[in-house]
Amino acid sequence: MAKAKIERTQKLFLKSLKEKFAEDPTANQTVYAREGLKQSARKREFVDSGKKMAMARGISMYDPVRCHLGGIPLGQRQLMTYEVSTTGVFVEGDDLHFVNNAAMQQMWDDIRRTILVNMDLAHQTLQKRLGKEVTPETINEYLHVLNHAMPGAAVVQEHMVETHPGLVDDCYCKVYTGDEEMVDSLEPQFVVNIDKLFPAKQAAQLKAAIGKSLWQAIHIPTVVSRTCDGGTTSRWSAMQLGMSFIGAYRMCAGEAAVADLAYAAKHAGVIQMADILPARRARGPNEPGGIKFGHFADMIQGDRKYPHDPARASLEVVAAGTMLFDQIWLGSYMSGGVGFTQYATAAYTDNILDEYTYYGMDYIKDKYKVDWKNPNEKDKVKPTQDIVNDIATEVALNGMEQYEQFPTLMEDHFGGSQRAGVLAAACGLSTSIATGNSNAGLNAWYLCMLLHKEGWSRLGFFGYDLQDQCGSANSLAIRPDEGAIGELRGPNYPNYAMNVGHQGEYAAIVGGAHYGRGDAWSLNALIKVAFADPSLKFDFAEPRREFAKGAIREFMPAGERSLIIPAR
Amino acid sequence: MAYKAQFGPGSSIVAENRRKYMNPGYKLEKIRDMSDEDIVLIMGHRAPGAAYPTAHPPLAEQQEPACPIRKMVAPTEGAKAGDRIRYIQFADSMFFAPTHPYERSYLESYRYRGVDPGTLSGRQIVECRERDLEKYAKELVNTELFDSARCGIRGATVHGHSLRLAEDGMMFDMLQRCILDKKANMVKYVKNQIGEPLDKEVKAGKPMDDKWLKAHTTIFHSLGGVAYRDDAEYIEYVQRIHSLRTKYGFMPVE
Repeated sequence: MAKAKIERTQKLFLKSLKEKFAEDPTANQTVYAREGLKQSARKREFVDSGKKMAMARGISMYDPVRCHLGGIPLGQRQLMTYEVSTTGVFVEGDDLHFVNNAAMQQMWDDIRRTILVNMDLAHQTLQKRLGKEVTPETINEYLHVLNHAMPGAAVVQEHMVETHPGLVDDCYCKVYTGDEEMVDSLEPQFVVNIDKLFPAKQAAQLKAAIGKSLWQAIHIPTVVSRTCDGGTTSRWSAMQLGMSFIGAYRMCAGEAAVADLAYAAKHAGVIQMADILPARRARGPNEPGGIKFGHFADMIQGDRKYPHDPARASLEVVAAGTMLFDQIWLGSYMSGGVGFTQYATAAYTDNILDEYTYYGMDYIKDKYKVDWKNPNEKDKVKPTQDIVNDIATEVALNGMEQYEQFPTLMEDHFGGSQRAGVLAAACGLSTSIATGNSNAGLNAWYLCMLLHKEGWSRLGFFGYDLQDQCGSANSLAIRPDEGAIGELRGPNYPNYAMNVGHQGEYAAIVGGAHYGRGDAWSLNALIKVAFADPSLKFDFAEPRREFAKGAIREFMPAGERSLIIPAR
Repeated sequence: MAYKAQFGPGSSIVAENRRKYMNPGYKLEKIRDMSDEDIVLIMGHRAPGAAYPTAHPPLAEQQEPACPIRKMVAPTEGAKAGDRIRYIQFADSMFFAPTHPYERSYLESYRYRGVDPGTLSGRQIVECRERDLEKYAKELVNTELFDSARCGIRGATVHGHSLRLAEDGMMFDMLQRCILDKKANMVKYVKNQIGEPLDKEVKAGKPMDDKWLKAHTTIFHSLGGVAYRDDAEYIEYVQRIHSLRTKYGFMPVE
């Protein structure tokens, strides 16, 4: 047999396989013990809890022995545990369903409740239209008022209901700018400090891009965005912004000029995390389907924390993206049911995609001399069709051979959609990191899909017949009616709208193109800085670690209601 | 010059098998003899001997609109009679089953009329009029396209294609629709394709040995089979299709 072109003796997935299967990972036969649910601690817990809940509510519920396949429960083969990749934490699959994982919920909460609002226009209006003085001192005072008001407190009214601070403590506003002098003048508690949070090279790029403009990163209460929807974020924040300006700058509440300020302060310079979708999707703005892949790559902060490892940074985007776009967006908003989790977790468990991607890193270093551990724009490879084909083919073949050589690996990714997403992601990431071109990465993804389909005469579920077999025609060579660069695509891009196992990886391919170049951001510097904020409940630099914490029930989310409900 | 189908590229035995199975001019080797009744029992759509339920009256008895397409296309026997559309679904082990999902869909499209194949990773379904289905299904299970241990007839809860084999060499089946009678070296179906117990066992033939499987399979597999990487012509062909689609959309002229 012709050999893979790179020798990797330390397979990253082997430790997980040994832990999971306790058998020789290269054996192609096993004894199926058919032990059923009892082999899983979590399923046993579900059975016990289901019984208790059924008794308490008087309506039957979780009863798998009776209800699953007429008496044949899950677990006729091994119910596997999963290592959340790179964390060393083994969890049960159930713990990675977003309903069972508070960290996953909080990641999406933290995105949906965020809005970025420019202050420059408001300040100009205050100065020129209303004759108010704006200084660092007044800005600090305004931010005090705003951090009082934004969670749901009154600032100018005589008699008004308010929200309990203990329920909305996750709500706040910080500001950031590229103006170092301004940063030094503001109270540190209110500042997302670019110099302190980013490596020097990235910080310099970000400050140059943002310049002297001053931006607010506003995070409304989790409980509010959960009770309402993504569209609420701009409305809630706008109302509190307006009231805070009126209160902090002692303005008349009815003067016509205040209308100018209201527009300038609330709406003129606003960036929502997601665009509104077409009416047929029936969603407001700030819902997952409207997040551009470039923006999502900016929300995830792996490149800030691991600037010398674009592969890892990209893999963090894969994890976060598959969780949000597959598990929550497609799996629940669009489809309903619980099955999408099984597809999505394949991309961020057991170090399998990690192994395939680092194989790609070794290959691009060996063949194309890409110094991927020192990201820069100078050694990027020209994204020709031949080079895309070469990288994608080698990484795809290597991945397929790993699945073949280690039957437990194949058993781990037991569904074709899982394998298809993982193999194509490795090809896409390797190519985008090598070329610095997101569309080259997407093109590699689609070649991998064709290779995979022909090699094994199977791919994923029906949906893979759509986007993956026409994707060659809408990537790399762009015609105006068919393509957009990956940065500007999103979950609602034509053909992407209903297919698990793709969108998170696409976002990572976009990110990888920039992480590989050493860019400080992929599409929007303002979003990059906003999600670097350590005060956010979810750490966007370490999505996988956070998911693992959620799985083992060590993640503390926001928006809890224990203050206002009976103790249990 | 009339178009002559090539059925795909490749210089390996895997590629050659794929071409053979797709080619309607190639006579598939018969290796077992399941009866009409056996097939009907395993599919579970009707009782053996029962009349075919119909979805509409026979075409001869209903007024057909004046349609040039209907004049050009002769209906199948099942369509003529107004049969229901029914299905058979297969799961194929990646450990060298003779056929695999896309290969099944391709070969059915070349060989059979009036079929609607559906292709997934762990299963492949083909739907058509019921009496046509029984005829096609008989060929699909009685010839070299099928191995009783590495292929399964599974309507639901299909998984097994990617899993390790059981200790007796059978593909995993959660519902254990078929079992290996070791003494007789015979696979027997004890449940129909959706897992309902059968009143009597249906013999599905002896499992083929590894040598036979590797000589007849249509999957590349580097663990004991033909590595995909080693069929350079195949790889090159896929790359070429991809490159042409990238450059010229779906009109790939060079």
